Amino acid sequence: MKKLGNLVRTKIRASCKETEQKESKDSNTQEKNNINNLQTEQTINEIKKNLARVNDFLFKKVVTEEGIVTVMYSNSLVEKMIMQVMVFIPLTNHANQIHQVAEEINPLDMKDVILKITSGQTLLYFHDKNVLLFIDTYSPPTRSITSSETESTVIGSQDSFTESMEANLSLIRRRIRNPMLKNENFVIGSETNTNISIVYMDTIVNNDYLDELRTRIERVDYPAFTDISLLKQLIEDNPLSPFPQYYMTVRPDTISDYLTDGRIVVLMDNSQAALVCPVTFFEMFVSVEDYYNRWTTASLLRMLRFFGFFLTITITPAYVSALTFHPEILPYELLVNLQESRSKVPFPPIFEVLFIELIIEVLREAGSRMPAKVGQTIGIVGGIVIGTAAVEAGLISNILVVLVATSALLSFLPPIFLMSNTSRFVRYIFIISAGMYGLYGQMLAFAWLIAHLLSLKSLGTPFMTPIIPRKATDLFDSVIRFPTAFLKRKMGISKSQKK
Amino acid sequence: MSGKKSPVLNRFHVIFLTQNIMFGTGILSLPQKLSSLGYSQALFPLLFGVIACLTLWPIIWINSKYENDNLFRINEKLLGKWLGKSINLLIVAVYIIFLSSVINNYTTLIQTSALPEQSMVVPLIMLLLVLVYIVNGGITSIARFCMMTFFLIFPTIFFLRWAIEKGEVTHLFPLFNFNGKEALEAMKKGYLSMLGYELIMFYYPYIANKKKAFKYTTIGIWITVLLYFITVLVSVMYFSKWQLENVEYSVLHLLKAGELPFIERIDIFVITLWVLAILATASAYLWTAKKGLESLRNKKKSSHVYILTLVVLLFEWMPLNPGFQEKFYEINYNIYYGILGWPIVLCVVHLLKKKRVRP
Repeated sequence: MKKLGNLVRTKIRASCKETEQKESKDSNTQEKNNINNLQTEQTINEIKKNLARVNDFLFKKVVTEEGIVTVMYSNSLVEKMIMQVMVFIPLTNHANQIHQVAEEINPLDMKDVILKITSGQTLLYFHDKNVLLFIDTYSPPTRSITSSETESTVIGSQDSFTESMEANLSLIRRRIRNPMLKNENFVIGSETNTNISIVYMDTIVNNDYLDELRTRIERVDYPAFTDISLLKQLIEDNPLSPFPQYYMTVRPDTISDYLTDGRIVVLMDNSQAALVCPVTFFEMFVSVEDYYNRWTTASLLRMLRFFGFFLTITITPAYVSALTFHPEILPYELLVNLQESRSKVPFPPIFEVLFIELIIEVLREAGSRMPAKVGQTIGIVGGIVIGTAAVEAGLISNILVVLVATSALLSFLPPIFLMSNTSRFVRYIFIISAGMYGLYGQMLAFAWLIAHLLSLKSLGTPFMTPIIPRKATDLFDSVIRFPTAFLKRKMGISKSQKK
Repeated sequence: MSGKKSPVLNRFHVIFLTQNIMFGTGILSLPQKLSSLGYSQALFPLLFGVIACLTLWPIIWINSKYENDNLFRINEKLLGKWLGKSINLLIVAVYIIFLSSVINNYTTLIQTSALPEQSMVVPLIMLLLVLVYIVNGGITSIARFCMMTFFLIFPTIFFLRWAIEKGEVTHLFPLFNFNGKEALEAMKKGYLSMLGYELIMFYYPYIANKKKAFKYTTIGIWITVLLYFITVLVSVMYFSKWQLENVEYSVLHLLKAGELPFIERIDIFVITLWVLAILATASAYLWTAKKGLESLRNKKKSSHVYILTLVVLLFEWMPLNPGFQEKFYEINYNIYYGILGWPIVLCVVHLLKKKRVRP
């Protein structure tokens, strides 16, 4: 009896001790939890203060097995389905496994925390442990991949870049399935914090060009980048020149072509175009369709584009100089024809030409701003009615209308829109100098143009490189395109690494 | 000049630089200058080529002894500071006056043929502005401009084909129908069109492959000589003796023989195209004079180019009668011939100095 009593007493004492220990442990964790809770409340209050009046920034408190978890996310950047599938359902069912999917972040680094929220990440704050995790749930609505309106081709792939940098990268990566295709991310823009990515082929690219480009991008100090052409103007070699020194395109096949040639491509989030550097002047007249066509067609079209550029800056100035200063240059019948059509015009040729050039510019600008429904009618009214009426009223001669229309069409031949804009600007310089001193003024302006083009650089290399070809094979792919078997695909300008 | 890196001229740069500095207004009146020889002037450009190569050799030799110095520094090193600097000043003055004579010739030509009834003040200023723009780019920009000029002007050779059709080959024979006095007169007048290859003394430090500089310069000289030879040949075939002596700018009349369906007078087009060749020549001389001014004052300033351009402009506007201006330019040409022979003097001085150092 006594022994039984002793046994029971020791057992009761042991169990009392256990409950005491358990209680003390529980009180310890309780204390810790209280401290953590206080700290999380403090941090959450600070986040709320930073994001005050950002009404699409949501806080939700979820009760889980691991205690209370505050979920913070930006409603406009995250799709609701993604939130349910990636965050709420796992959180409410197996909260302790969230650690395997999410990454940890320091809750005291307020700047990083705010940047993560405004970039579309979801933050999970575990109150009891004072641990802040984030999951990448960035899924804003994006445009689907369509064909490009400005750079369309008849043959070849029709997809073009969209505004999402990830979609653009996927379009490039599915064409170049090579681990050597590297891309480095940067964040630029002090107000917009835009993502950009430098893409290149590691085994082909020249590392000096890469370092130069990186230095230039890191030196850029501009608040808001709405499009990649703003970045382009800030990192160009000669920003004062009217000519573009880097290539901009929206076609992924052109980009993959340039990447395998050893050039460097820059992509920007929210920007449809991509930048290619370094490039030469002749490549501004090359369309990727030239490589899909056969070599005879391709050579013909390239020569047309290239000489079209020089024709468009020469036709109307030649009209001005021939009629004002050197009428003896024209053959007799043509001169009679011209004088007949100019017989009613009261202005000297230069005013006539400037007048109609400006009318065409106004038509072009207005046509691009007008809504589509009104634009067609106004286009017909402007083009046909004003043109015919002006000729009949005697304000301009009808030969001039033909010349100006041809030169306007020719100015749209270069595949890059920036180059066509430049040729329009250069044409005015030529018209004015032809109006001042005839052919002499035109040739002086031409000398200036040559001197200017020869002084331009693209990422440190001369812009007019095929004039002094670095490799003889460069000439095979300039104004005339040789058959594909002869083309060595690494142009001299990229100074690619030799294998 | 071209930033921190030193500019480097590869072989194409050197060839076309040499060629274009020589090729300027000289060719347009070349048949007239050689006219004392009559019809046998056809071979004289080749003789000029030989003389040019012979005088080129001491130039390259003295430059190869002082690899990184242009002629201004070599003068100072060999002749001492004061004598060297005064010779440098003379060279700068000669080049500036030569430059203004070239531009003056050209603007007179434009005024008489392409732009009658216009004062040439503003066109001259426009030309000088473009000139300053090219020179500010440094010697590489000038060399590249020379290359483009060559490819743009070279096709005008094809306009000579109508003159060949209308000319008579029998004018060419007999070949050596002149005496010594006529030959000397022709050489004195005609060699002006060959001046310009000696500017290699000033851009030699920038050449990449200095050992082959002689070869490249010779190629440049012979390209120009070939062009002159073809022109003189065709003009001998086309013109009569009286025309050769009395027609100024006879090469332009050669071009008038051309018949194209859509342009009547090609010569106006070619004259205005010639502004590129003038700019190529003038920019090299202006660059050399700028380098000279820098070495005289031992300072590099961007205002040097503008000062020199103003001096050129003053020469154009000098209120002197044209006869005096012509004489002034004649004296200048004679001094210029002296500069051609100057490297031989320098070679002798260099050899004497070496002999003095050894013992």
